[in-house]
Amino acid sequence: MSRQPPLVIDNGTGYTKMGFAGNSEPSFVFPTVIATHQSASAGSSNASSGAGGGGRAPPPIASKPGHLASKRGIEDLDFFIGDEAVANSKTYSLHYPIRHGQIENWDHMERFWEQCIFKYLRAEPEDHYVLLTEPPLNPPENRENTAEIMFESFNVQGLYIAVQAVLALAASWTSSKVNERTLTGVVIDSGDGVTHTIPVAEGYVIGSSIKHIPIAGRDITYFVQQLLRDRGESAQIPPEDQLRVAEKIKEDYTYVCQDIVKEFKKYDTDPYKYFARFAGEHSVTGRKYDLDVGYERFLAPEIFFNPEIYSSDFLTPLPEVVDTVIQTSPIDVRRGLYKNIVLSGGSTMFKDFGKRLQRDVKAIVDGRIAGSEERSGSHMKSSGVEVNVISHKRQRYAVWYGGSLMASTPEFYNVSHSRVDYEEYGPSLVRRFSVFGSAV
Amino acid sequence: MILLESHSVIINDVLTDRFEKASRADIQFVDYDNVRFHLSTPSSKTQLLLSMGIQCWPDLIKYGAREHLQSEYEGYLLPQDQTEPEYDVSLVIDLEKLPGTTEERSALISKLAHLKSTAMASPFLSAFAEQSTLQANYKEPAGAQQADLAPAGEKGELKIVKYREEEAIYIQASHDRVTIVFSTVFKEETDKVFGRVFLQEFVDARKLNALQNAPQVMYSNREPPLEIRHLPGLKNGEDWGYVTFVLFPRHFANPSQALATINRIQLFRDYLHYHIKCSKAYMHSRMRYRVAEFLKILNRAKPEVATEKKTATGRSFRTR
Repeated sequence: MSRQPPLVIDNGTGYTKMGFAGNSEPSFVFPTVIATHQSASAGSSNASSGAGGGGRAPPPIASKPGHLASKRGIEDLDFFIGDEAVANSKTYSLHYPIRHGQIENWDHMERFWEQCIFKYLRAEPEDHYVLLTEPPLNPPENRENTAEIMFESFNVQGLYIAVQAVLALAASWTSSKVNERTLTGVVIDSGDGVTHTIPVAEGYVIGSSIKHIPIAGRDITYFVQQLLRDRGESAQIPPEDQLRVAEKIKEDYTYVCQDIVKEFKKYDTDPYKYFARFAGEHSVTGRKYDLDVGYERFLAPEIFFNPEIYSSDFLTPLPEVVDTVIQTSPIDVRRGLYKNIVLSGGSTMFKDFGKRLQRDVKAIVDGRIAGSEERSGSHMKSSGVEVNVISHKRQRYAVWYGGSLMASTPEFYNVSHSRVDYEEYGPSLVRRFSVFGSAV
Repeated sequence: MILLESHSVIINDVLTDRFEKASRADIQFVDYDNVRFHLSTPSSKTQLLLSMGIQCWPDLIKYGAREHLQSEYEGYLLPQDQTEPEYDVSLVIDLEKLPGTTEERSALISKLAHLKSTAMASPFLSAFAEQSTLQANYKEPAGAQQADLAPAGEKGELKIVKYREEEAIYIQASHDRVTIVFSTVFKEETDKVFGRVFLQEFVDARKLNALQNAPQVMYSNREPPLEIRHLPGLKNGEDWGYVTFVLFPRHFANPSQALATINRIQLFRDYLHYHIKCSKAYMHSRMRYRVAEFLKILNRAKPEVATEKKTATGRSFRTR
C-alpha cells in the first residue's frame, strides 16, 4: 500500500493553515477560532492558568438515570471552527484557543483539531503522520501536551513538531537565489499582530537573541486609514468600510521605495502618473465612490524602516533590529546569519521590501566595518560581509510550505516520533528535539 | 457535528473557486478509507483533471462501479485507458463548457464532491436491486409463518468490499432485507472499550420510541456473525468487532432515501472512530477540569508561612 501523505497543520494565533504534504499551498486557511455553546465568561477565565483552568464551568453532564445516551447530551459536539465559527458568532460564543502563538486552552484546541481532521481534511488520523508547528521558545510542557493529544486521542501514526522559523527557512530553498540548503539564517516573520526576528543556527533557534517588533500588518492598515483621513479622502468612504478599504489599498497598491525624498518629488512633479484611483462600492446602498491613492502607496510599508512616522513608542527601524539580533548571536554564526535573511508572512509581501532591507542592513554592516578598519589605523583590511535578503514566491504561507516540503521527504519518517516510540517512552519523547539531518 | 459529511470539502472549495476564475492547480489530497485524490491542470488552465485512487476499486468494479459512475458523470468520465496512471477513475471538467446558471453549477460541484461516495454506492445499489428481484420472485411458502424458514437459495450474492487494509464491508440481499456487516479493527486498548460501549449504545438507543424505524443494529465482538461465518480468512480476536445492519425495503424505498442511506452507512466505520475520538476528547476535558479542581483544594491546604507579625511601632507579640 502506498503511504498516505502526512497532514501538515500550522496553527497560528490568527489563522490556521492546513493541508497535505507535497502540495504547494495549504488546502484550508481559516481563523483559529472555535464557537461553542458554553458561556463566554466560563471559557475566557481559564486562559492564564497553565494547569488547564481556574474558575471554569465544568463540561456538561446530565443527571438522568438510564443508559449513557440519555445520560448526557451532545453539547461537546456542538461547535464550529474557522469561518463557520465566525458566521455563527451571534448564537455561539467565540474562543481563541491560541494566544501569542501558544496554545492556552487545551479543551478547545483538542476539539478544534477534531474538526480540522475529520471535517475539513477528511483523513483518518490513524493512517497518517502529522506535522505540527510551534512558536520559538514554546515550553516543553506544551509539546508534551500536544503529543499526548495527538497520540492518545487521535492515535496518529507519527508526529513531528517543528519550529515555525525553521520551516520558514526551509521554504526559502525554493528561491532561485538560494544555492545551498542551509538551516542557518534570520527569519523575519511578520503577520497581522507582531513581527518577530528570529536567528536560527543549524536548525536550532537562538532563543536569547529573538526580538519582537510591535509593528505588523494591522498597524500598516491603521496607518493607511490615518493617511486617507488626513488628506480628506475618507469622507467618501462609508465609515463601516473604512478599515476594509484601507486594507485593500494596502494589499493592492503599496510598495517599498528606495529613497523617500526622491519618491515625494516624483509624485509632486507628475501626480497623474503616480496617483492611483481606487474604485469602491457601498456594501449596502450600492453607491459608487472612488478616491485617490497617493503617498500612502510608498509611505505605508515605510513604517518598518522609519517607525517614527507612525508610532512614538517604538522607534528602532527593522534593519537595525535585524543587525542587533545578529550581533547578539554567537560570533561564529554571524556570517551565516547575514548571508541568509529570510522573509515570511503576509506583511513582508510588499514589492521591493527585500531589496530595501538588504540595502539598509548592508549599509549598517559596511559602516561598522569601515569604522573598525579606520580604528585599526588602516592596518587591517576586511574581506567584507555578505548580506542577503531572500524573498520568494511562497512567502505568504512560508511556514506551511516549509512544513509541506519537509514532510514530503522520505527522511521525515525517520525524524518524526513514531507511535511505537511514544508507547515506549511516553510524552517526554517530544522533549527530544530532532532536526532534519540531510538538510544541514 | 454529529454525522460526518459525505462530500469532500476540498473538491467543493477548489471547484467553486476555479469555476469563478480558472487558474493552475496541482493538489493531492485524501478522503476516508485510503482514497487518494489528485486535482490538476495538465494541459491548460481550463481543463481540470480530477483523479481518484480507491483501495477497493477491484471489488467495486465487480459490482458495476464503472457503469454507475458512467451514468452519474456522463460526459466527464474519461475512458479506462485514458485514466491517469496510479489512479482508478479520472474525470475531466472543461471550464469553458460549464452549465450557464448558478444553480446548475453548484449542483455540478456538489455532484463532483460526492465522487467517492458515488463510487462506493455501487455495491449497495446492486444489492438493493437484487433484493427487489428476489422479492418479486419470492412466494410465501404455504403454511409457513416465519420468513426465515426460506431456503438458502433465496439469498443474493454476498458482496465483499475490502475498503481498508484489513477491514471489509459484507453486503447480502435476501427477499425481504439487505444485511450489511462491517468488520473493524481497534488498534488501541482504550479504543476497544470505547467502541464496545458505543456500539452497545446503538442497541439501547433503538429502544427509544422515536427511533423505532431505524435499521436494526447488532454488534458482536470477537466472533463474526452467522451471515459471514462461513467465509475463509475471517479474523476473530480481541481487537475485532463486527457490526451488522439490517436494512428493510422501507429504508431504500425511493432513490433519494436510498442515496441518503448509502451515504450514511458507507461512512459508518469512520463515524464510529470519529466518535471514539470525540469521547476521548470529552473525557480529557473532564479530566482537566478535575485536575484543576483538585489543584484548587491542594492550594487551599498549603500551610500558611509563619512570619512574625509586627505592630505599627515595630514591636512584636511574644508567642507562647
